[in-house]
Amino acid sequence: MVTYFLQNLINALQWGSFYALIALGYSMVYGVLMLFNFAHGDIFMVGAYIGFGVATGLVSLASMGALALPNWLILVLTILISMFLTSFVGMIVERVGYRPLREAPRASAAITGLMIGIILETGNLAILGARRVRFPTLIQSTTYNLGGVFVTNKKIMIVVVSIALMYALHLFVRKTRWGMAMRAMAFDTVVVPLLGVPVNNIARMTFAIGSALAAVAGILFGVAYPVLDPYMGIIFGWKAFVAAILGGRGSILGACLAGFLLGFIEIFVVMIFPSTLRDFIAYSIILLILAFRPHGFFGEPYSARLRL
Amino acid sequence: MPLLQINNMSHDFGGLRAVNNYNLEIEPGQIRGLIGPNGAGKTTVFNLVSGIYTPTEGDILLNGQSIVGLKPYQIATLGLGRTFQNLRLWRHMSVLDHVKMAQYSKISYGLLGAFFGTPKRRREEAEIEEKAYGLLKLVGVADLADQLVVNLPYGDQRRVEMARALATEPRVLFLDEPTAGMNPEELIQMMEIVRLVHREFGLAIFLIEHRLKVVMELCDIIQTLVFGEVIAEGSAEEIQNDPKVIEAYLGKETIL
Amino acid sequence: MRGRPRNNEKLVVEISSGNLPEKKTLSDRIRDSFSQVPLLAWLCGILVAVLLERFLGDPFTELLGLPKIPALFGALTILRKPLLIPGTMAFLLLIYILPIIIVLRLCGPVLNRLAGWLFNLSSAVSVVIHLGLLYGILYLWSDISGYRLLTLKLTFIAVIVTLSLNVINGYMGEFSCSHPGFMALGAYSASIFTLLFFVDDKVFGSALLPEFLGPFLFPVALIFGGLVAAIGAIAIAVPSFRTRGDYLAIISLAFMFIVKSLIENLEFVRGPRGLSNQPNYVDLPTVFLWTVAAVWIINNFVRSTTGKALNAVRDDEMAADAMTVNTRRTKIVAFLFAAFWAGVAGGLFAHVLRYVNPSTFGIQKLAEVLAMVYFGGLNSVYGSIVGAVSLSLLGEALRPLEIFKWIIIPLLLILVMIYRPTGLIAFKEFNVMNLISPKRRK
Repeated sequence: MVTYFLQNLINALQWGSFYALIALGYSMVYGVLMLFNFAHGDIFMVGAYIGFGVATGLVSLASMGALALPNWLILVLTILISMFLTSFVGMIVERVGYRPLREAPRASAAITGLMIGIILETGNLAILGARRVRFPTLIQSTTYNLGGVFVTNKKIMIVVVSIALMYALHLFVRKTRWGMAMRAMAFDTVVVPLLGVPVNNIARMTFAIGSALAAVAGILFGVAYPVLDPYMGIIFGWKAFVAAILGGRGSILGACLAGFLLGFIEIFVVMIFPSTLRDFIAYSIILLILAFRPHGFFGEPYSARLRL
Repeated sequence: MPLLQINNMSHDFGGLRAVNNYNLEIEPGQIRGLIGPNGAGKTTVFNLVSGIYTPTEGDILLNGQSIVGLKPYQIATLGLGRTFQNLRLWRHMSVLDHVKMAQYSKISYGLLGAFFGTPKRRREEAEIEEKAYGLLKLVGVADLADQLVVNLPYGDQRRVEMARALATEPRVLFLDEPTAGMNPEELIQMMEIVRLVHREFGLAIFLIEHRLKVVMELCDIIQTLVFGEVIAEGSAEEIQNDPKVIEAYLGKETIL
Repeated sequence: MRGRPRNNEKLVVEISSGNLPEKKTLSDRIRDSFSQVPLLAWLCGILVAVLLERFLGDPFTELLGLPKIPALFGALTILRKPLLIPGTMAFLLLIYILPIIIVLRLCGPVLNRLAGWLFNLSSAVSVVIHLGLLYGILYLWSDISGYRLLTLKLTFIAVIVTLSLNVINGYMGEFSCSHPGFMALGAYSASIFTLLFFVDDKVFGSALLPEFLGPFLFPVALIFGGLVAAIGAIAIAVPSFRTRGDYLAIISLAFMFIVKSLIENLEFVRGPRGLSNQPNYVDLPTVFLWTVAAVWIINNFVRSTTGKALNAVRDDEMAADAMTVNTRRTKIVAFLFAAFWAGVAGGLFAHVLRYVNPSTFGIQKLAEVLAMVYFGGLNSVYGSIVGAVSLSLLGEALRPLEIFKWIIIPLLLILVMIYRPTGLIAFKEFNVMNLISPKRRK
């Protein structure tokens, strides 16, 4: 029983890593711009596909003998290149869908985000067709048996990489000048621009970082579950969005914790109940949490008037 | 019996005492003022009485009935009207709709009327519209009835807010800095309006002001609030010469 | 900043109309000649056009070498076979545009006087006549093909859903995501009602009531669906007392997912496989009447002071409270009212398609409805009608483009959001009296 529990705990950690990484993107954009980037789930999907493209390219180059790279290095390169490329997707989304709407009602920006998401999905379908693609195997799966609990090297890698990135982000936001500017914008959007903080650059950077993290989530997802499809962003995106809110708006720690919590809920629900009840129970628990903590774990009470 | 009576009202904001042992009695037809430096807790007093916050201690009686713990709309319906320091107009609504909306509690056509447009609804809507026009005329913005409030100059917005507060048919009217941000000309007009509604409706008025001139001219009795406590109460002249008030406003006189 | 009057625009208009010498461009002249045309004349013109299509449509299509009468004003034909563009254009010109212009030109003044006479006689009679004409047009137009009829029915349902969502997202200013959930509740409740009482089928056994009663009791089924949805809405309305904005959006989103996965897990409504075999009760008059009722009641509501309390709560809740507005009552009424109509629309939807399954009521539906609300315009009955009709028809018209449709429509919406962030026709009162009144020369 204990081993069964521990086994699921590890699965939940892995599952929660994806949510947490994606939720970070939502939460950061929210913290800085007070807007939700509803296209973020689809940026995760695009990141996974870019990762797929880069990895496939590198693998075929390696197999042709043009590059003599070990697989682990290909994975590292894939992650880095995809982060870089996907961050541009994020910046384009910001430029097209969010910058023109910064003064508009917030709901309008939510709509553009939704629409950009649909365009990204459809664009993907148009380019690659409806078939699912297979993420190349970069890591041979090795399973370790720790007293009855089976842990694969992939799972360890996913959880370690995710937590390392979260910590890096935390340091970035706390210790650097850019991070300070981001926090300042989260605090006040009227005065901060007057103090010489380049608001547009910060916004762009926020989208870029969020998208890069989503790309990592996409690649890690591809490593764990190699089949990609264009609609994977919807399911993950909306759940991660819920996690971001649950964590408290704009709170990085909150988004991570809520992401992992969501992972735990989903895995443990399936442990006890039939898997078809997963969404039902997961969302019911979220509803209950919000009923008692209407502002999430680390959010502040809502006082500002809606901008409409 | 006083119209509004506040007994030993205190309020804490998470351990910080914002208002301490506050007492007030307003008789019908009185104009009273509340002055004090920034952050003294004047608006908190207003918010406590109008039900936005619930006092930690003390009792508030409106017309002999305790209103502590009632919702703001219930208190307003019982006859306590107010304006806000920062106006709080409804930005997408027309001037006329503002004044009609404030008569919400008088509507009795119910949901059926709202859904199906019954004759009763038409009659009541016409009644409150007529009354709204009357109030707008009184404060001098009747010709702007169809405008959106955001398109009005500041002085007119203040007038609309006054008409809106009057539309709730208050017995006591709380004015939170009615002349804030006004130029001298608008200020004089506003004082005229305050006098006019006082005369016209025989209202009791309780106002917060920053500009001593306004309070001194309008009010019968003035309270001075500093750090949540009343340090002086009396006529304009008494307040002006009270050393404690002078100290609160200008700092302690030091003799070298 | 708020206090500054915004007179600039007005000033510019005055200068351009007053001081400059009047120079009428073609577009001005066209606008002038149509500005005095009452709605009655438009309806008559369109009626003539659809009558022409009905009686001369087939010979014309043969003459012009078209395969069949263009179903949606030629959009489908043009996109599929570009070679047929001239023929389609000629068809549109001969059947629709020219007859309408001729009727407006010839009968405009007469009909204007008639509209005035009707208006003075009784506005209710006038409304009924206008609606009758509208129904006649729709009947004749949709009678040409089953495809048109289905499109029309779904468009009507979209109008109801969009309007009801506008009550919450526009008039009350919350971002509610729960509407697909309300629709699902309505669709399933109404379906269970009709399947249980009037249909012999495998899921619910034999009919409990004689079948001939079905069409008469169908309104009861729809209202039942609406009420179930309204009861579901309490789950959103109660949290809305304490929280607003983003957290309420999440609560409503969670509600939508919960409803969807609950239905997926309910075996007695066949879970994810869905319910089918609903009786064919929703003909054109039914859906037309329900839509008219929805528009009328919702418009009545949002124009009453009780309904405008929603705007007050949206723009400043604290002020609303201080001005005697019972904010809790206002919120709960808004949510229940909107959910009721969403439920009714769901019931109609289930009986138009005669099949429902839970996956219909997911994120995709949500994006669709939100798009219609925000495209058409917030806080506006006109806007919702325009948004629902235009996006429904556009969605059908662009069907030949296949998946590229899902690039064009979102792009269009992004452009609308950028240039008109509150939608095309936002914050405009829908006044039927102005609509049906005769037009006067300025």
